Amino acid sequence: MLTIYTYIQELFTERLPFVPSNVKASLFIILFCIIAFTELYIYIGTRRIKQWFEGKRNKKYKEIITNMLANIVVYDDDAESDEIIAHFTPEFKKLPLKNSAVREILIKELLHYHLNFTGKTADVLKGLYLQLKLNKYSKRKLNGRWETQIEGIREITQMWLKEEAETILKFTDDENSQVRMEAQASFVKLSMDNPFRFLDRARERILDWHQLILFEVITKTKNVEIPSFSPWLSSKNDTVIMLCLKLINHYQQLDAMPELIRLLQHANLHIRAKTINILGCIEAEMTEENLFEMYFDQPLEIKLEIIKAMGKIGSGNYLEFLTGRTYSENFKIRMEAMYSIKLHGITGIELLENIYKDTNMQNQVIIKHVLDERIVA
Amino acid sequence: MHSALYFVEQFFSDAIFIYALVVMVSYVILAFLSAIEMKSYLRKNSYVDYRQILVSPNAPSVSILAPAYNEEATIVENVRSLLSLHYSNFEVIIINDGSKDKSLETLIEYYELEVVDFAINEQIKTKPLRGVYKSKSKAYSKLTVVDKENGGKADALNIGVNVSSKDLILCIDVDCIVEQDAILRMVKPFMDEGKRVIATGGVVRIANSCEIRDGRLIKVHMPDNIVARFQVLEYIRAFLMGRMAWSRLNGLLLISGAMGIFDKDIVIKSGGYNHNTVGEDMELIVRMRRYMHDHDLRYKVVYVPDPLCWTESPSDLNILSRQRNRWTRGTMETLWMHRELFFNPKYGILGLLSYPYWFFFEWLAPILEFIGLITFITLAIIGNINWEFSMILIGMVYFFGVTLSTLGILLEELSYQQYTSGRDLSKLLLIALIEPIVYHPLTVYWALRGKIDMITGKKSWGTMTRAGFTPKVAKSA
Amino acid sequence: MTPKILVVEDEELMLKALQFRLGKEGYDVFIAKDGMQALKLISETQFDLVITDIMLPFVGGLEIVNKIKSDPETKDTPVIVLSAVGLEKTVMEAFQLGANDFITKPFNLSELSIRVRKNLRVPVTK
Repeated sequence: MLTIYTYIQELFTERLPFVPSNVKASLFIILFCIIAFTELYIYIGTRRIKQWFEGKRNKKYKEIITNMLANIVVYDDDAESDEIIAHFTPEFKKLPLKNSAVREILIKELLHYHLNFTGKTADVLKGLYLQLKLNKYSKRKLNGRWETQIEGIREITQMWLKEEAETILKFTDDENSQVRMEAQASFVKLSMDNPFRFLDRARERILDWHQLILFEVITKTKNVEIPSFSPWLSSKNDTVIMLCLKLINHYQQLDAMPELIRLLQHANLHIRAKTINILGCIEAEMTEENLFEMYFDQPLEIKLEIIKAMGKIGSGNYLEFLTGRTYSENFKIRMEAMYSIKLHGITGIELLENIYKDTNMQNQVIIKHVLDERIVA
Repeated sequence: MHSALYFVEQFFSDAIFIYALVVMVSYVILAFLSAIEMKSYLRKNSYVDYRQILVSPNAPSVSILAPAYNEEATIVENVRSLLSLHYSNFEVIIINDGSKDKSLETLIEYYELEVVDFAINEQIKTKPLRGVYKSKSKAYSKLTVVDKENGGKADALNIGVNVSSKDLILCIDVDCIVEQDAILRMVKPFMDEGKRVIATGGVVRIANSCEIRDGRLIKVHMPDNIVARFQVLEYIRAFLMGRMAWSRLNGLLLISGAMGIFDKDIVIKSGGYNHNTVGEDMELIVRMRRYMHDHDLRYKVVYVPDPLCWTESPSDLNILSRQRNRWTRGTMETLWMHRELFFNPKYGILGLLSYPYWFFFEWLAPILEFIGLITFITLAIIGNINWEFSMILIGMVYFFGVTLSTLGILLEELSYQQYTSGRDLSKLLLIALIEPIVYHPLTVYWALRGKIDMITGKKSWGTMTRAGFTPKVAKSA
Repeated sequence: MTPKILVVEDEELMLKALQFRLGKEGYDVFIAKDGMQALKLISETQFDLVITDIMLPFVGGLEIVNKIKSDPETKDTPVIVLSAVGLEKTVMEAFQLGANDFITKPFNLSELSIRVRKNLRVPVTK
């Protein structure tokens, strides 16, 4: 043992200047690796030990808390919310809420529960949240790092602390895009007046993902006053237009029609495609002629959208045009045209049967495909 | 004579030493990049409510393509677990690649399938189709089964692309165990990047010895089998350290064939899977990237590090060696097919960094390591060697390898921590200590064999029937 | 006889809430945390009502509805499907398969109680 030690000592001290340079470098790398390696071990080990203790405690409290919460739902339907809250609050106060870990578990479980229920259960849960002054902690989170800010915004939103709407508004301009989106979604929920103010301001691109979230929030939140979205269709921000198109479609806002027709000339292909799609969904028969006229100058994606829209509108005025498309060279166009003809009810199906009689093999297969309920789910 | 030998020795030791240094430095850089990318990924996604994608009408549509070859024993269960994935707008397309067993019959019976007249848009040329099946029952309306002549995995996936009616395709090995929210997580990058995302790749984790019930992972365990255990470490290093870093650089060249989502449009435009290579998964990504560069389109290939896909890995050295042999050949073929990328500035990161990295480190490393070893042995036999210095050099490589593996384990600990029990963790750490001596030389040997086999053309290329996949461990014990 | 109700739900908290709530209302409540367990219980016991989530591990809620409604033994068992909002297509599929009722999350527990009673053909007023 001692000899190894002396060997290493000599190697790194007296002999070091005399070894070749590559060996010297190796020795330093070995030294460095051993130090790094030891530190990694110590770090991983202590982290595990800490986790083990925390995990044990958290598990205990989680069990207690979920049981307490699950008991809340067993209230009497006739009892007043206040009574129920008053009944349960003392019990929850016994929890060591000074301890941040326990508090976080409670907040998390409360929010999760609150998300799944409406009516009295939700009222009771919110009452408990306020009685236990957990809102204080949620608000404090708004001053933290961006992840913590998001957490705070979320808690405030899920508990419907409407009085915090203006606080949230200032985060809708935050430089961090994640915080910005979270705040925008939250503001829609909490703001009593003009929840869509942020759309006027939005200069940054709203990513598809953020659009999805905003769409969900806007359409799923009850009691949001839905404005007419058509003014925003002239926005300079294409992503704002996209979001508003989706919303116009969802709320079937027919007053946007003139704007929609204008958007048929929009330079952005996705906007054009979405607009045509919506015209189909709202069955805008009066736009069929516009669609027909633009058809031949458009790229494939748009052509397909036009055919689909004509099917959805299903007026029958353009059946001849659609029949013409079934001779297209492009498979997708033929298939879409058949689908669109089918959407014309009995007339459409009869027409397909007629086409079937004198068309080529592949078209016959397409017709069978289109009419097969097992395939078209 | 003596001076010549001395020269050779000097040359090799210097050249190899410098090469080793470069490799080590690049590994350190990659590890560093991985850590950054991992941190930003976790921060960005820790507050995501994936349920919102689930219920949204604006989420992209996905076709799951799963080729099946002789999977009779587990196919019903595998299909069921695919059908129960959490997503709303998706379909499952099972491609029976000319199975010789009763895979198709089993499916037909259980899922009440019937032949339908399905109009196929043959955008990619494939082997003939025998029939398309759909279920009579509404409960399985998401399922389509395609029966075709055997033509290999690439061909099966291509037919799947032709049948698919959705925007994205998720290519998957049918025997993988997939987490319920896999699609949700892998679809998200398609919506939240500034650039167009053409593909996202998932992690593959090792399912050996894990508790699995009804095609679903219940509890993660460290494999009992030592060969599989080495692979756990290897996969952690490759996926959490390697690919994470390449994702950061937007230079990913490989998305695992077991789990990847692709933009169908780009797949079709770049010609689909190539059935002339065993490395069809890597080759497709390279070709898709080239397509984007050639058309001056900005794009990204993203990697999703969440553990979403678990697979039974070979626990037998023979089967493992065959798998590695195939991987090596796949890599070589892909690199050869796309050799004009090599340091080609037209292809940006792809040509200047990713390709050279694969060439110098993934391709050349085993050869150099082998030459180094041969030189060492030769010199040792001749007696012309400084044992002390040689041992120090070898020691450096060893300690570096161990430290790097431990760093990989740390990344795993800080991110997903799948191996929760302390015993499993210590097993993993122990494996890291012996891996450079025991397992690494084997991988070098297999990689070398793969290269030799390819050069001598020993393995037939043209007909690529799938055979000898991972052994089927009874999954529903 | 006390009506037997099977609740299939994979979220712990939700499952507990339903279990406690329905238990308190005097039903004999059985629980399953995944589709497989549910199918097993259904094959063993004759339930008076089944409440199932749509998104479940192993076997989805729709398949459970299908299994119940296609088996002559159980086809008269009322099924209430429980799911997150927004999956209109799923609602239709569930009804096509024979589901008797549909409740979207978040929901009102009192409403659930009433729907349970209605589907069990128990008089709604207590």
